[in-house]
Amino acid sequence: MARRPDLHAVGKNQPRLDGFAKLSGRSEFSDDVQLPGMLRGRVVRAGISHGRIVNIDISAALRVRGVKSIVTVDDKPNPIIGMYQPLLNRTVRFIGQEIAAVAATDDDAAFEAASLVKVQYEPLPAVMDLEKALVPGAPQLHAKAPGNLAWEANEAFDEPDAVFAASDRIIESSYASNPSHNCYAEFHVCVADFSRADKLTVWSPTQSAVLFQKTLATAFGLTEGNVRMMTLNTGGAFTGRGMARPHHFIAALLSRKARRPVKLRSYSDEEFMMGRAGGRAQYRFRTGVMRDGRLRALEADLLVDAGAYIETQMLFPRITAPFFHLLYKVDAIRYRARLVYTNNLPYEWHHGGGIAQMHFGWGQHLDLVAREVGLDPVEFHLMNAVEKGHTTRKGVTFASCGLKECIQKAAKKAGWKRKYGKLPPNKGIGIAIGAMASGAKGLYKHDTSAAFIKVGEDGTVSLLTGIPDMGQGSHTTMAIIAAEVLGIEPVDVTIIAGDTDVTPFDLGAFSQRGTFTTGNAVKAAAEDARSQLLKVAAARFDYKPAQVVFRARQVYPKGRPEQGIAFKQLVYDTLHSREGRAVMGRGFYNSPKEVGSMAYSFGAQIAEVTVDPDTGFVRVDRMTVAHDLGRAINPRVVEGQIDGQVFSGMSQVLYEEVLMDDGQPLNPSRLEYKLPRAFEVPEVDHLLIETIDPYGPFGAKEVGEGPIVCTVPAIANAVAMAVGEQIREMPISPWRVLRAVSRQQDQDDDAA
Amino acid sequence: MPSKSVIRLTVNGDLHEIAVSPMETLNQVIRDGLRLTGTKRGCTSGSCGVCTINDERGQAILSCISLAVEWDGRSITTVEGVERDGKLHPLQQAFLELGAVQCGVCTPGLIMSAMGLLNTNPHPDQRAIDEALAGAICRCTGHIKVKKAVAHAIQQIAAQAATQAAGAEPHGPPA
Repeated sequence: MARRPDLHAVGKNQPRLDGFAKLSGRSEFSDDVQLPGMLRGRVVRAGISHGRIVNIDISAALRVRGVKSIVTVDDKPNPIIGMYQPLLNRTVRFIGQEIAAVAATDDDAAFEAASLVKVQYEPLPAVMDLEKALVPGAPQLHAKAPGNLAWEANEAFDEPDAVFAASDRIIESSYASNPSHNCYAEFHVCVADFSRADKLTVWSPTQSAVLFQKTLATAFGLTEGNVRMMTLNTGGAFTGRGMARPHHFIAALLSRKARRPVKLRSYSDEEFMMGRAGGRAQYRFRTGVMRDGRLRALEADLLVDAGAYIETQMLFPRITAPFFHLLYKVDAIRYRARLVYTNNLPYEWHHGGGIAQMHFGWGQHLDLVAREVGLDPVEFHLMNAVEKGHTTRKGVTFASCGLKECIQKAAKKAGWKRKYGKLPPNKGIGIAIGAMASGAKGLYKHDTSAAFIKVGEDGTVSLLTGIPDMGQGSHTTMAIIAAEVLGIEPVDVTIIAGDTDVTPFDLGAFSQRGTFTTGNAVKAAAEDARSQLLKVAAARFDYKPAQVVFRARQVYPKGRPEQGIAFKQLVYDTLHSREGRAVMGRGFYNSPKEVGSMAYSFGAQIAEVTVDPDTGFVRVDRMTVAHDLGRAINPRVVEGQIDGQVFSGMSQVLYEEVLMDDGQPLNPSRLEYKLPRAFEVPEVDHLLIETIDPYGPFGAKEVGEGPIVCTVPAIANAVAMAVGEQIREMPISPWRVLRAVSRQQDQDDDAA
Repeated sequence: MPSKSVIRLTVNGDLHEIAVSPMETLNQVIRDGLRLTGTKRGCTSGSCGVCTINDERGQAILSCISLAVEWDGRSITTVEGVERDGKLHPLQQAFLELGAVQCGVCTPGLIMSAMGLLNTNPHPDQRAIDEALAGAICRCTGHIKVKKAVAHAIQQIAAQAATQAAGAEPHGPPA
């Protein structure tokens, strides 16, 4: 990695600033919150997939000692969440749907009362399969969505039909991914204090305090400022904690009725009812290619099970569609995505935001295209890869792009040439490439993060930021950026975060906007504070402001460190002057783009696997990860981000599946829903490719979700090589591998 | 309401007399009663590992599936008892320096699982480390840096012990 000599904090390994608190048991999470008079909540959930509620009898539940409030559909106002979904609904559309909720003085009383709520249903026919849901005559979920079609997105650029016709070959293949769950370390939890009708305070893990504020304010007829979000620490998010969910609204309803704070928290298998990560999705890809391997036209058709309600799933097509533009130079693109209503849990987001899941198919499809035209996938990707300055069919221009460098360096490091096509039986090697936007312009008109810096009399700095840290290390990253600008050390910076009464506006930690967008805002705030100090410093040294250097807690004229004064002395002098200047920096950043991002990250990964032909178990031996992240602000944290995505990608592609039986999850626990254990994780090589993006803070782009997009298909491609055929349904569980292995053996026997 | 019984439980060296109901777990006593929230509440069914603490022999146990009434007269250590006088234990220090902490919910459980290993097996091999960590699920780090941190800490502690042993020799050879 190239260290710029003029950077003193950026690019150095800085241990997490919250590390001491987290390691010594001092950091507070929402489930650790105890408030005076706080009640415990419990939700009553539907036990049928589809039906109308004829009657809810709460009389027995009300008699349980300690019960303070019970809410049902009869409580008004009953907020609408997502599309056409009253929070507590008279129609049940999935097993686990919230019907009523109880708050009591302790968990035992809440559980007992919840079990005594009697619900009478009039059942309706249900449909679980997303293709069957589209068949005429299928049970209908919502009158406003005829044919169960929840959402459809169509996009075409240039003339796909003509370009397909002009292609030498057209290659088509289909894939599917199955329901999954995020398995956050921190279970779903919400503490709501609505004791006063005009102020709602909510403690809950979130990726975006601002979006929670907005939806809760709308639901309860408050202004945003009267909803106070206390984020504290967030115990993992993985794309699933961007928006307020039913349990947040229910906790608020219970608290409003009881006039006491309420903690609502999921218990064991309930986590899989509240969870709602990825759902079943089917992908069909079609590619027009020339004989020499040049890509001409790409087409994708996605069919996604949205489940019974839409909360935010309509973002799925908007998030996945751009990825057909980002990787390859092509002449035409066509894209269709349909979201379908079924009587399954409302499915939403898993780590990788639908993109990694789609790339399970997309990355395997491109591997197939390469092999069909007789090219090594590395050569094929290099031939078609975008580069710096390329403008996509959608009009995005890459100001920095290290895609080719990622492919080349990963191939070299992994020994691709030595291994590809030359491995012993049951061993496989596979490559996949990916890209990711750094930022979220398009969700709203703006994509703003703001930051505020208070410089103390003693030279210490308080940085106020609205970005949540859910483990990704953003708070430490922001401290490094502020320290770099002010010439102090990251440990001199205290982060003030997690309380919307205090912190400046920040859309949140999603769409990979943290380092890029909030980082730029923090940089601007620090520069504002520095400019206030510069005035005094320049006058003191009798130098132009541009020639004053802030570094190593010193301020000095350029090239004359011996004339320097301590940073804290400068701050002191600035305050203790006749002007009495108190130093406070403010800054914000909003992408000047209409939609999309100013910066895109790129990556390539190579997976090496061993398949056990007797058990079907896939062991990932090694992952070589090359990621163009612009610049590594905190390299060890960057490695940690990559490791986590390798783990999650490996977990999703090989392990994770919520087995569903007529709408009922069959394996709703961490014992039965398997994630890789410590002894199953691979060695990871990290190749950090620094292309120094002109718009990123100190050149940095995202690294929080780009890598997983490559991990999933790289492993799938390696397995395909080891087994002899592609496994086109995710996860690649042992039984799917065994089926493929026996099919291959049958073919070999037939040939013999 | 079933009646409560009083247990005497030593937590991180402090003796507590606590009234517990028959169904109450150690996890509830530690978190809700003693307000030691460093020990996390996870699946409450022994499958995720975030509630791990150490018993008086130093072994890792799951507090969410341990009934408090069975712990009368016994002694436990929670994550709050590992760091001393503002100084992290070498294991915690290795987690910090090698980047094995992310969101921090599973971290106390990982620390107490690894402490359980160190307390009962001072010279574990990689297989023993992997097994000690197998019951603790960490979604953020993928266990990759956690494994490195535990191995590093074991080396550090062994090196420290060797130096101390050498220094304790009154006329021993220079280390």
